[in-house]
Amino acid sequence: MDQVTSQDSEELPRREEPALRLEGLHKVFADNVAVDDVDLVVPQGSFFGLVGPNGAGKTTALSMAVGLLRPDKGRSEVFGVDVWSDPVQAKSLMGVLPDGLAMPERLTGRELLTFIGQLRGIADDVVAQRTQELLNVMELNDAERTLVVDYSTGMRKKIGLATALLHGPRLLVLDEPFEAVDPVSAAALKAILVRFVASGGSVVLSSHVMALVEQLCDTVAVMAKGKVVAAGPLDEVRGDRTLEETFVRLVDVEAGNREGLSWLAS
Amino acid sequence: MAGVLIRMKLVIIRHSMTGGKAAWMIIGGLFGIVFAVATIWLSLLESIPLAVMADLLAAVYVMWMLGWIVGPVWGGSTVLRVDHFALLSVPQRKLAVGLLFAGFVAITTAVTFLAFVSLIVYGARLGIVPALVAVPAVFLQLAFVVLLSRVAMVVFGVVAKSRIGAAFTGVLIAAMMVLAQSGWMIAVAIQVSGVLNDGFGDGFSTTVRAIPSGWGLVAVESAARGDWGLALAALAGLALLIVLLLLGWSHSLGTPRRARITIRGSRNAAVSSRGLFAGQTGTVVRKELRTWWRDPLRTQTVFVPLVWALGTTLLPLTFDEKLLLPWAAPALAVMAGAAMCNIYGLDGTALWMTLLTGSERADLRGRQLAYLLIFGPITLVIAVVFTAWSGLAYAWPWVLALTPAMLGGQAGLGALISVVAIAPGPDAHKRPDNPLEHGDTTGQANLLFWGGLLTGIPPATFLTLGTVYDNAFLLWTAVPVGVATGVFLAWWLGRVAIRSLRVRGPEMLFLMRTGRNSKSIKIEMPKRDAWIALTGWTLGSIALFPQGIVPVIFLLVGLDVKSWFLPLYLAGPLQWPSAIVMVLLGSYLYYIAIKLTFAKKPSSPPDDGSGDSTVPPPGQSQKLESV
Repeated sequence: MDQVTSQDSEELPRREEPALRLEGLHKVFADNVAVDDVDLVVPQGSFFGLVGPNGAGKTTALSMAVGLLRPDKGRSEVFGVDVWSDPVQAKSLMGVLPDGLAMPERLTGRELLTFIGQLRGIADDVVAQRTQELLNVMELNDAERTLVVDYSTGMRKKIGLATALLHGPRLLVLDEPFEAVDPVSAAALKAILVRFVASGGSVVLSSHVMALVEQLCDTVAVMAKGKVVAAGPLDEVRGDRTLEETFVRLVDVEAGNREGLSWLAS
Repeated sequence: MAGVLIRMKLVIIRHSMTGGKAAWMIIGGLFGIVFAVATIWLSLLESIPLAVMADLLAAVYVMWMLGWIVGPVWGGSTVLRVDHFALLSVPQRKLAVGLLFAGFVAITTAVTFLAFVSLIVYGARLGIVPALVAVPAVFLQLAFVVLLSRVAMVVFGVVAKSRIGAAFTGVLIAAMMVLAQSGWMIAVAIQVSGVLNDGFGDGFSTTVRAIPSGWGLVAVESAARGDWGLALAALAGLALLIVLLLLGWSHSLGTPRRARITIRGSRNAAVSSRGLFAGQTGTVVRKELRTWWRDPLRTQTVFVPLVWALGTTLLPLTFDEKLLLPWAAPALAVMAGAAMCNIYGLDGTALWMTLLTGSERADLRGRQLAYLLIFGPITLVIAVVFTAWSGLAYAWPWVLALTPAMLGGQAGLGALISVVAIAPGPDAHKRPDNPLEHGDTTGQANLLFWGGLLTGIPPATFLTLGTVYDNAFLLWTAVPVGVATGVFLAWWLGRVAIRSLRVRGPEMLFLMRTGRNSKSIKIEMPKRDAWIALTGWTLGSIALFPQGIVPVIFLLVGLDVKSWFLPLYLAGPLQWPSAIVMVLLGSYLYYIAIKLTFAKKPSSPPDDGSGDSTVPPPGQSQKLESV
């Protein structure tokens, strides 16, 4: 694989292309339409939040977008490069953090990053230096000899994000990056992501924590029942309300459900 | 409780059933039925004295018991994982009883029950009362083996938390396998020694009855003699054991999550740009070697084939026989393949990293190389040392030719089976309680063992010809042929596996995330084809191995044991042709079965880079959210 580094590979992404473009992505599981003809455009340099209730299809959509789950139909392009027909180039442009998947569990954090760096074909000295920096920033230096299998959930998120950042991608696709992360670590992660966007990178993250999305993202899309029900700049989508109010209105939560559970703590 | 758990188990099985899994289940069930029927047949034998038959029966029960203890090594986790019930406010004993009853609802239990019916048959031959005594004995015996299996799995899991413990369980399991299979040696010895008329020694009879698996038999025999004290004591003893096992097991259910023994990595992780560990493949080799070294489950998988091969070939030394010594290396080379049978399943969803870095080729080759680095040197050392020790000069070309062919062949075959027949299990970080939990690989391991024998065919052809014509040149030509076979199979099967991994990668990841195939069962083989394939596998196996290859070997060696090898019962001139016809017939049936089993699967999506954006397979069956 060619050496891929971030800011020094300017010629790869074409300027006018969006960082991520999903066209008519569709996925059916047995009797359930998980993702229903989803179109999304993530402009370059945007901090994009994908929100939706549990089961809305966020993970499925993102898995298809990055090439980890084969769509029934539709396309996914990263900077104009088709993820499914030119996977090698597309995957070199993005860094991905899936939710809850295993990693090579019997490596330490440093060994894992070195492994991924070598797999990505990054020069040896660059790998060593970036690994050290990432471990410092993620505060994983104390756990130098701990294997990933013994990491806590928050540490797993952090090392996962480090593997996504290592090759200096132009686009980060993060599935629930802040789930189970303590506030201190979350602040560190946020700072990293904000800096990444400020230096020209693009971020797509999924979450159901509205406050967090409101705080970080400039562009949002709301998914419900496999469909994108609203998308655009944050201020346009939420209007005069908070994102949470807009979200509840858009995803159509039935208020009746709250009446039940009379037996609870009675 | 039991009813709820049984229903839950059936629902889980139904939801996780895939075509491949169903096929393994049917094949496994058929083999089990064959063994069970053989056990009953034994109890019906008229030609040997009843006492000898009882000894044999007791010995067979020991084997069934050992099978239940060893089974989980490949069977993996039980359907109802104890983890699922950790937070349930149900008394542990009630839960244990419920899980035990749920454990009875399984093909393995049904097959074992069938085998144990032989005890009732035996009882009936002694009289009505012994037959009646045999009925509760059968149920007690069944409950005993099922519980023993569960307790053994917990104990092994606790012991195997450290790597030394895992090595120990590996040794223990291999020892049990050697013990169980040495029954075959006993069987051959029986035919030669005439023990069928004279009976076994007292030591043997007493031992097989002293082991709890024989207590049911003791009860039946005592009842026939009118020794009611002993009959009741035997049954009560079995019941007491069951209660003790149940108590022990239920205690383990209540134990809160036990801490994993922390295995430390090294502080140093310098990039290696030279030698073996350089480049993409090199970095995978290094990752794999570290994983083999640090993962208790893999430690166990290394020790099982090693100790099994050594045990099997060293056992005849107990009666001063060195005949098997040279075959330790080929045996290890073949059995080691079972350690490679689910190499991707073991790492679970970590596959996403391979897919996202587009490093499928490096990953697969790296895993093959690491496997060869682990098993290669030790196998070759054993080959040289054991052959020299045996002093059997004729064995040298055989060992030196077969070992590399089988080593390389298994590296290729294992990689291929790992990709095309992946068995999903819980991810490493989701099974902190028992490092030995994994997907069910019984079928895959068997396929690798028997398939691994076939990898020796090219050098074996030269060896056979060289032996028949007493030609040293042919004999020694087999060695480079063996090396070439090994290299070729590792390379070629690996290449097929790489292509399959590239094409099916996302589907494999889906399977490991959800435990379900991304293709629904409905589009698998049509029913008629499935039956033909099944018949092909079954009859083909019978024709090819026991009726074909084994008689050929016996004829070559000039061994005069007819046993159940049909061609050897025919008149002299007909023996060779009939054995060869059997080999051909078996091969043809295998060909049909393989064609139907593997070719009929719905075509996977086209290779990447084919231009088209996405042409996915139909019918995904479960959503991904919140896995």
